Amino acid sequence: MISRRYKLPSNRFQKATILSHARAGRGYYRLVLRASETASAAVPGSFVMLRVSANLDPLLARPFGIASLPTRSSIEIYYRVAGRGTGLLTTMEAGQSLNLLGPLGNGFPLPDRAVMPVLVSGGSGFPPLHFFSLKAGSRAHVFIGARDKDCLPPAPVVTSFREHVAGVHITTEDGSAGRQGMTTDALAAFLDKREAGSLIVLYACGPRGMLAAVSRMASEHGILCFVSMEERMACGVGTCMGCSVSAKDGGYRRICREGPVFDSREIEWGEQFPVKMKR
Amino acid sequence: MPSQSNIKPDLSVDFAGIKLKNPVLTASGTFGYGEEYAEFIDLNRLGGVIVKGVSLRPIKGNPPPRIWETPSGMLNAIGLENPGVDVFLESKLPFLRKFDTAVVVNIFGYSLEEYVGVAKQLDGVPGVAGLEVNISCPNVKAGGIVFGTDVQAAFLLLSAVRKATKLPVIAKLSPNVTDITAFARAAQEAGCDGLSLINTLLGMAIDVDCRRPRLANCTGGLSGPAIRPVAVRMVWQAARAVKLPIIGMGGIMTGDDAAEFMLAGASAVAVGTANFTNPRASIDVIEGLEAYCIRHGVPRILDLVGKVETI
Repeated sequence: MISRRYKLPSNRFQKATILSHARAGRGYYRLVLRASETASAAVPGSFVMLRVSANLDPLLARPFGIASLPTRSSIEIYYRVAGRGTGLLTTMEAGQSLNLLGPLGNGFPLPDRAVMPVLVSGGSGFPPLHFFSLKAGSRAHVFIGARDKDCLPPAPVVTSFREHVAGVHITTEDGSAGRQGMTTDALAAFLDKREAGSLIVLYACGPRGMLAAVSRMASEHGILCFVSMEERMACGVGTCMGCSVSAKDGGYRRICREGPVFDSREIEWGEQFPVKMKR
Repeated sequence: MPSQSNIKPDLSVDFAGIKLKNPVLTASGTFGYGEEYAEFIDLNRLGGVIVKGVSLRPIKGNPPPRIWETPSGMLNAIGLENPGVDVFLESKLPFLRKFDTAVVVNIFGYSLEEYVGVAKQLDGVPGVAGLEVNISCPNVKAGGIVFGTDVQAAFLLLSAVRKATKLPVIAKLSPNVTDITAFARAAQEAGCDGLSLINTLLGMAIDVDCRRPRLANCTGGLSGPAIRPVAVRMVWQAARAVKLPIIGMGGIMTGDDAAEFMLAGASAVAVGTANFTNPRASIDVIEGLEAYCIRHGVPRILDLVGKVETI
């Protein structure tokens, strides 16, 4: 494993010009920003905070995972409309600029050559895993799960995964694409079949429930698992303490600062705010 | 109104014996212990840093979700998470002492004895310029707001802290009261050297689809530009009721916002939630305040204090 911390660039707070911004399919938007200082320091797992308005409402910046570096001076982001902030973001056009803070957070530790990385993406959790697959993908397998085919990553992202990794395994809960079922079931079957002695490390990003399941599976199989976590954030740098997640040692970890990537053994999965489905 | 001048205004302020190179501090709980924002700005430029609340023992804080954005503001219920005064002195203060800026330590407790205990431990510590006593956190049942919404309890607590330290004592008052001047007077009678106003306003938001509170704590403290008019009003009222100097805060985003508080009667200001949206916010406010003085021909920043014309 290599160091997870990177050298801080001199200016991580800047105006980033929108180079391109368009629908990417399946409800996603693809946003490419010119942000050379960010691109030069970003690692798979890094995120940025974007202010979608120069006005006071919405007030706070939004966190976005970096999906790739299309050039040495630009970053690629995928997002779906989740609320007012991302709704406003869809109206921004190429040529306009956004306040950008980043790269922030740690990153996925890159595995050494003997390891087979297994990436597990749920819902809209694919961007940091896609960035990771570009760096450590040749031996990797990717498990992509979604509710239905319209919730899968955009087609160009799935294609890119196929080009960079050894195997892509798609599952949907309703069977509208790939195999029917939960991505964790497909992953369990894969882990059960693996050759004895093969070194696997799991890298997961997606809904909290899926991360908990993957983490449990990793501990049952005695394999390392790194999870990239999400939470609402105000500052992105560790001062507001808003994005804390419960840790095994009884304390909290700031997702923006100590994360967003954690060794899954560090997280207290049993003590999450109960998820309640919409009525 | 005086005419524009090009003379560099004197921004320095002596706040209750604390020398500030300019009247702009960072508000407690929005700037950690300085480490994070030192990556973005030069802390030497700040008038001062009011650190995140410190208690006698470490506090774990509230379960998530802890924050929720509201129109031009945000709700938070962090629950005063902090590593405790021992860790603060050992590993947080040494970092801040490297900078030429006033360090004001925000303190709180769950009982009068705990407040006194923290105050005593910080008394005489090199690098600590003053104490800001938080009697107003809305997110902790036993600590803070109990003292902040009962005039007699506030007076007894602040008197006890006053006796426990030789440092300047600044009382951070709660806006969640009917008459802020009663608490300002209680702080003055208790021997405090200054006031900080305002802490957050108690608020709540509900997810109507799930019929659940947005925060695990149900209620939280509202901050940001949404509360600025309330804060300016309370600073104005308190400034007319007592002689104590006031640090005004509540939704300051720009130099003009800071000037508004000073005209209302604040001798210094603190930048809070703005740090979250812009790591350079405190510097922008300093530069904006200087530009305001130049624009209006104000030679000394203290000339602004309380100069709102109310005829």
